[in-house]
Amino acid sequence: MPANNLPAVDYILIVHLTVLLILIFYAIFALIIVRQVDLMSKTLITPVSPVVKFISIVHAGLSLGFVVLSWGIL
Amino acid sequence: MLSSYLENPTNCFFEGQDHDENILLLLRAHPVTNLSWIIPSLLLFLLPYFWPFIVEMLNIQFPPIPQNLVNVLILVNYLIVLVVTFEGFLHWYFNVYILTNKKIVDIDFHSLMFKNVDLAPLSQIQEANSQMAGLLGIIFHYGDVFIQTAGAKVAIDFHQVPNPHKVADKIMDEVLRVGGKGAG
Repeated sequence: MPANNLPAVDYILIVHLTVLLILIFYAIFALIIVRQVDLMSKTLITPVSPVVKFISIVHAGLSLGFVVLSWGIL
Repeated sequence: MLSSYLENPTNCFFEGQDHDENILLLLRAHPVTNLSWIIPSLLLFLLPYFWPFIVEMLNIQFPPIPQNLVNVLILVNYLIVLVVTFEGFLHWYFNVYILTNKKIVDIDFHSLMFKNVDLAPLSQIQEANSQMAGLLGIIFHYGDVFIQTAGAKVAIDFHQVPNPHKVADKIMDEVLRVGGKGAG
């Protein structure tokens, strides 16, 4: 059955919920990355390690912000 | 600091390093091996630009999508690019092989939840072999180093490191220096 025969409201709602779910999982994943980077930085200590750690925290913050932003947009 | 072949790095340390232990060699996979995540990231990054042409070329009919949903889908695409790039870099940067004046250390982070550290004292090392294989390996001069130890664990392998023959030679020089049994 062609996709354009689906009821428009249901289709959009499903896509909205899927996207939000992806973003929520992404935010959880970003928080796990922060923990992973912390572990990595303790295992190998270099001048770059604090920078990478900072990037991972910013990345996690952004991903959480995007969940809120997308909730607002959608 | 972002090199894949560092001799006597002064500002690098690893977990469990002794006070009288010096890093002689710090190795990572050759930068060329990063193409395995750089190319997919680049394609994903460019996908939103080429998407209209792809849809038109394949003649796919989509129902009308609201602009706000399109914006969020583009955002999701760039988040995926971000995480693929960041994870690729982390995997490359923190998976290191270290030769010190006391031992060999192989630090592996296979996935988000798996950390593996192999240690082998130089006195336990019996031999080191190197090999270069594949077109990229020959062109960019990288390959694997296989280190045989006398312990229960059979071997420590350095994968896709630059100058594998030089690395194997340096390891054996160090083994001979400490007078490891079976060396040479």
